[in-house]
Amino acid sequence: MRASLFITCYNDTLYPETGRAVVRLLERLGVEVEFRSAQTCCGQMHANTGFRSEAYSQAKRLVRLYQDAEAVVIPSSSCVAMIRDQYPGLFEELGNQELRDQFAALLPRVYELSEFLIDELGVEDVGAYFPHRVTYHASCHGLRALRLGDRPFRLLAKVRGLELIALENLDRCCGFGGTFSIKNAEVSSAMLSTKLLDVQKTGAEYCTALDNSCLMHLGGALHRQFAAMKTVHLAQILASTEANPMEETT
Amino acid sequence: MDPISRQAILDRIRKATAGGAPDVAGSYAGLERSYVRSGKLGADDRIALMIERLREYDAEVVETAPDSLAEAIQEQLAASGRRRFVAPEGLPAEWLAEGFEWKIDHGLSTAEVEQAEGVVTNSFCGIADSGTIVLHHSAAEGRRIISLLPDWHLCVLRASQVVETLPEYFARCSEAPVLATYISGPSATADIEMTRIKGVHGPRFLHVVVERDEPR
Amino acid sequence: MSHPANEGHPVLDPVLAAPFPQAAFTVLRNTQLRKNVAHATDVIQGKRNRLVAEKTDWQELRSAASALRTHVLENLGHYLEQFEERCTAAGGVVHWAKDAAEARAIFLDILRQEQASDVIKIKTMTSAEIQLNPAIEAAGIKAFETDLAEIILQLGDDEPSHIVVPALHVNRTQVREIFARKMNLPELSDDPKELTNAARTFLREKFLRVPTAISGANFLIAETGSVVIVESEGNGRMCLTLPKTMITLAGIEKVIPRFQDLEVMLQVLARSATGERMNPYSSLWTGVTPGDGPQRFHVVLLDNGRSDILARRGERQTLKCIRCGACQNTCPVYRQTGGHAYGSPYAGPIGAILTPQLMHLEHAQTLPYASSLCGACYEVCPVKINIPEVLIDLRAQVTDKEREEERRFFDPMYLGMRIANFIFASAGRFRLAQWMGRLGLRLFTRKDGWIHSLPSLGARWTMTRDLRGLPDETFRRWWAARDRKD
Repeated sequence: MRASLFITCYNDTLYPETGRAVVRLLERLGVEVEFRSAQTCCGQMHANTGFRSEAYSQAKRLVRLYQDAEAVVIPSSSCVAMIRDQYPGLFEELGNQELRDQFAALLPRVYELSEFLIDELGVEDVGAYFPHRVTYHASCHGLRALRLGDRPFRLLAKVRGLELIALENLDRCCGFGGTFSIKNAEVSSAMLSTKLLDVQKTGAEYCTALDNSCLMHLGGALHRQFAAMKTVHLAQILASTEANPMEETT
Repeated sequence: MDPISRQAILDRIRKATAGGAPDVAGSYAGLERSYVRSGKLGADDRIALMIERLREYDAEVVETAPDSLAEAIQEQLAASGRRRFVAPEGLPAEWLAEGFEWKIDHGLSTAEVEQAEGVVTNSFCGIADSGTIVLHHSAAEGRRIISLLPDWHLCVLRASQVVETLPEYFARCSEAPVLATYISGPSATADIEMTRIKGVHGPRFLHVVVERDEPR
Repeated sequence: MSHPANEGHPVLDPVLAAPFPQAAFTVLRNTQLRKNVAHATDVIQGKRNRLVAEKTDWQELRSAASALRTHVLENLGHYLEQFEERCTAAGGVVHWAKDAAEARAIFLDILRQEQASDVIKIKTMTSAEIQLNPAIEAAGIKAFETDLAEIILQLGDDEPSHIVVPALHVNRTQVREIFARKMNLPELSDDPKELTNAARTFLREKFLRVPTAISGANFLIAETGSVVIVESEGNGRMCLTLPKTMITLAGIEKVIPRFQDLEVMLQVLARSATGERMNPYSSLWTGVTPGDGPQRFHVVLLDNGRSDILARRGERQTLKCIRCGACQNTCPVYRQTGGHAYGSPYAGPIGAILTPQLMHLEHAQTLPYASSLCGACYEVCPVKINIPEVLIDLRAQVTDKEREEERRFFDPMYLGMRIANFIFASAGRFRLAQWMGRLGLRLFTRKDGWIHSLPSLGARWTMTRDLRGLPDETFRRWWAARDRKD
């Protein structure tokens, strides 16, 4: 099995340790990982802010790039949602038949990380060890657009040493929402403070999720408040073993 | 009324929906309806559910055999402590119990109906799932005003008229009613801090006499 | 104290209202409001969720409701003409209003004919949309709201903030204060039961006296020409039974094909709106019935931009809405701001898509952005309106409009987007941008490796959040180095 990693523009730049963890994890599971360096962005930011033609040019690039990939794995549910939910409309409106066919052929081979592990590799126990108290936040795109369901929980349940503490109001949006966090910074911050009440109530050491976008928002506030809790992408927990514990970052 | 506006609006709608299916009836008939259209409960359970839902709404419910219906009504009227009642034109005479002041609605004025302390009516149907009583305002059910102004309403519901689900009620309507009122408990509001307060307008006291099919 | 939600009277006119971020900024500091809104929406959501969980065919009902509404919109002209024909045959008079101004004129015309000095009203958001009450008052006619929430708002000189529970932003102490003052009941306590009784008494004499009523409509039935009103309190029944004249205002999208279709619509509406299997009172009437109810009956069918929405393929689904308010109850944005911040009688997720469209995107342009696109609204919508999809579509329309305005070119957000697109078009440019970004942000990165303060747009982030400094090595550089090593 050869998986092509689409790291996403923001993971590449801001959270490379998540990418490194995905590579370590997949290789440990016997997957050959490739990285096509021509990749940049899926176009979500532009699409959601109303810059449709710009989003389309990025979408086109992505589809062309992965034409012959066996599987494209993406550690970001919002980017996968972009491809599944918005690409069809963009290609329908702005593309030609050839591109529409290329997209249709690629679509079934695009996976969010937990989907790839559970559905494609058929594995729940990835051999991880992470002896910490952890709470899991369900990112909206993963929860509603991708309907990931209990996949993340099944993976977390098999991580040795990990104590999972349930998050109340699990399905309530953290308030990031992409450029919403800037355009409506006050409301975004109000939603963030409501979310943090639930997160901090768990008393966990780590808050994890499948999207670094939510974690950047939650973690940014936790750090601002000198809170003891840290945020970490689920991939990093799954990549962590006794021999190779998770990389410590600031 | 400006006929120009009517035409303008219809023209815009036509233009907006151009290219739609020409066969409206066919496309309507083809709409998917895979929701539950009939209940699973037997007659006894159905009645029990209806009564349970009615009681959840704080309606007073009594069951009676067919030959004791008039008696059951009389008991309810007596227990109410009220005297002046209004009744629909077509209400069965046996239900007009003795010892009370009856005003039959042959076209009472609003002021006259406002004087009444209670009302007795028949009903068209009961829907058990939601505890809904349906009035089609036939002669025995009465004009809408008489089941609206008095503070106390006694409604007769025959067991054979109780269905389990809402779709079954519609299946019972051989034609659509011209007037209908659907009562699912006494009026309520939750407008003040979401605190449910019962009895705003309309009868605050609802009594239902359920007449069973067979004598017990 | 008389303006529970806002400094000054809330402005629910999209033409005059402040942009959403600005309005939200003001209202977020009103902690009483936020507490009231959170409590109210939690209660309804809880009830709704319990009933939906118990309804084994909930998803099938949603599918049927959505398909039915879609079918109606596809054949709207046909059904409206059928409604008009049947309603007229039954003794009703049907009027067509192409916009708010025409609707108001029709109402005033009828009221003048009736020589009405006052009217009683059943709650209808559509009348707020066309700003009917001020027009009626200006003509010297008193308009009495009869819905408890609407009385609270009318007497309190306030505006609705929710489609179904319009006064949810007001708590009992605030209601007591309003009623004590306006109903002249200085001894009144703040017990909701007592408050409700005060309203009941206050309204009874109006129901019995005022001969003209105005209503909205939950549904218009094409097959029979009937109107359906769904309510809880009974003020609707009072208004549609006792007066001599009834004037019903209904958006053209309110029509459904047949009486039987209520079997779907009522099931999804009651559960979604108030978390009940069925609301206390629903009423259906057809034209005029001699001896029973109003003997003069008018229906005013309102377009006011709906036919334009109908014409747009992606946005047409907006008109499926049955005004249940479930989207408002579940929206995490609405939870923080309440309804007034949206500057329209239609607030929350449905407001964010309906209001700008009714305004032809000339006003309320910030509303499509008043969302984190979390999708909770779509999940609860009983007629499956894909609100996030419409929001994104409207954002594209707003942006397209702005592109034509030269001054937008130098707007930091706009400039940033165009530059970002340029960068994303090439991996080489992207790597360069990553390097430049790392270098530039180093200025702002403190000893702990985090950024605590940024200028310009970045300040909007750092006002409440830190940002971790860009790592020295991007993922792609790490990969390239690893590749070379092998």
